Amino acid sequence: MPRARFAPWLLLAPALVIVLVFFGIPTLYMARMSFNLHIDQRLYVPGFTVEHYLNLFSNPLFTNAIWTTVQLSLLASFFTVLLGYSFALLVWLQPTRWRLAFIGLALCPLLISEISIIFGWWMFFPRNGLLSYALVSSGLITNKISLMYTEFAAFVGLVYLTLPYSFFILLSIFDGIDKHLLEASADLAAPPLTTFREVLLPLTRTGILVAFAQSFIWVMGTYATPSALGPDTLWTMGYLIQEQMLGKHNWPMAAAFSMVLVIGVACVMILTRSLMSKRTAFHA
Amino acid sequence: MTGGSALELDRIRRSCGSVVAVDDVTLDVGKREFVTLLGPSGSGKTSTLRLIGGFEELESGTIRINGERVDQLPPYQRDTATIFQSGALFPHKTVAQNVSYGLRMRGTPKTEIAERVRRALDIVRLSGFESRLPAQLSGGQKQRVALARSLVVRPAILLFDEPLSALDLALRLQLRAEIKRLHEELAFTAIYVTHDQSEAMAMSTRVAVMNQGRIEQIDTPQHIFHQPASEFVYTFIGESCCMPVRITAGATLDSTGQPIALELNRRPPDGDWRLYVRPARLKLADEALNSSNRLKAKVHFVEFLGDIHRYHLKAGALELFSDRTAPVGPSVGDMTEVGWRNEDMQVFQ
Repeated sequence: MPRARFAPWLLLAPALVIVLVFFGIPTLYMARMSFNLHIDQRLYVPGFTVEHYLNLFSNPLFTNAIWTTVQLSLLASFFTVLLGYSFALLVWLQPTRWRLAFIGLALCPLLISEISIIFGWWMFFPRNGLLSYALVSSGLITNKISLMYTEFAAFVGLVYLTLPYSFFILLSIFDGIDKHLLEASADLAAPPLTTFREVLLPLTRTGILVAFAQSFIWVMGTYATPSALGPDTLWTMGYLIQEQMLGKHNWPMAAAFSMVLVIGVACVMILTRSLMSKRTAFHA
Repeated sequence: MTGGSALELDRIRRSCGSVVAVDDVTLDVGKREFVTLLGPSGSGKTSTLRLIGGFEELESGTIRINGERVDQLPPYQRDTATIFQSGALFPHKTVAQNVSYGLRMRGTPKTEIAERVRRALDIVRLSGFESRLPAQLSGGQKQRVALARSLVVRPAILLFDEPLSALDLALRLQLRAEIKRLHEELAFTAIYVTHDQSEAMAMSTRVAVMNQGRIEQIDTPQHIFHQPASEFVYTFIGESCCMPVRITAGATLDSTGQPIALELNRRPPDGDWRLYVRPARLKLADEALNSSNRLKAKVHFVEFLGDIHRYHLKAGALELFSDRTAPVGPSVGDMTEVGWRNEDMQVFQ
């Protein structure tokens, strides 16, 4: 039946067209750009060279940025998933009447733009900010402190940014689990931690990986939050791409750097996919 | 009770908000007994079961299993095993891993686990399914695995939480018989929750009929059926025709005050009464001739139900139905005699 063979493609077509037009073509265009020449402060000169890539991997400025970004992304994603998982677990275990309130709370940060959130942090981290005030008045510290423009502030900002998404991904995974499984496990003499290890963790593994991957990918590429909250020396890939493009007017270099980011993200996605259970259809 | 009680509930109570789900329930279950908690939804039967299993907290009262108080213990320290309505099999574990779970948690030696799992699967007739995942099993097979998983740990009490209600009728009857067979072979102690009276009748040594958080009556299925303690028990335990009548000095009236042609062998005193007869015991036409109680009624319509015809009748405002096995009977619109024996009638005020 040739018609049956085409049916899946036909159904996929609208999504495929959107992905190709809005993501595929720009990426190809960017790939081409990364091989162009950069001469005399002109944005780019058509041509072919691998000089930008060589520069990328030999110049410690760039390699350090890659390393810094990966480190920061790993750390932020780890804590995002940890917090998101705990929060989702908590909400899942709540009776339904509390659920909506928690979900509303988690939606709040999504209603505010990244820039507004950054302004919020500017009220929170400085010497005369909310955090310092709270710590001093609670007696935990005696002198006011400023955490503004530290790697810690950048880290907190990044976790905050990706947390809601992690939370919703994980909550949707939890919602697919029959709560009676917890009771069944306890009923068969498994204490709570054992139930967590034996039942909950394996059943949420896919969700953890997806939440981690989305958070990691996001943090890798984001630019505003780490540059606004972190120290001047916090040079992430996002920051350097921006600098190459707008500051140095070197489009091919920015494109080459972006390509490295795209390929890195693709690798992370392939890795997490392969770690996911082959048998995800537990709830058939 | 010989050999002591397996389970003692003493005035256990649990409320959800302003609703009392379990209202001072007291129950004593002997070893090897199969006691069913039967009741409509919201009657507190499932809550009672969950209190025994430790999934809900007791407000007052005590629970003892084999003489020891357990009401302060978490579920994983109670010697009970529940068969859930959904089966609640671990979807990421194979059948063998599911069944061995409880043994593993209790620290049973590995060689013994393998042997006991093999035997348990054999008992529920699922040998050869060890490496399947729950998603690869049918609904009935899942419940058998759930049964094996609970049986294998040999708990003091098996708790059944409507395990058959999600299955279709044929499968339900088959598994019902199987659970009864297992109970006779293995002689476990069981508390079984259901809203299906035939299930309760078929399997139990005793049935506790629950209503609004209380046990209305607890007795053998035969006694429950023939000597119901209350109107609720009578109507819940099987189909019945209800005849609300007013008996006055001279006449018998229906609810609208019209006189009806009802002859009662033993007339209750004057007042408002509800007379009940089971449809299978309500005789019709020629079969009603020798009955001690008789009523003239009109055939309203007839339902064909395979083995029987169900005659829906009207006498004034009274509506009743009678099951008749004979193929030929009165036609729709005919006036006919309906009759029943004294012992087949229940009278409530």
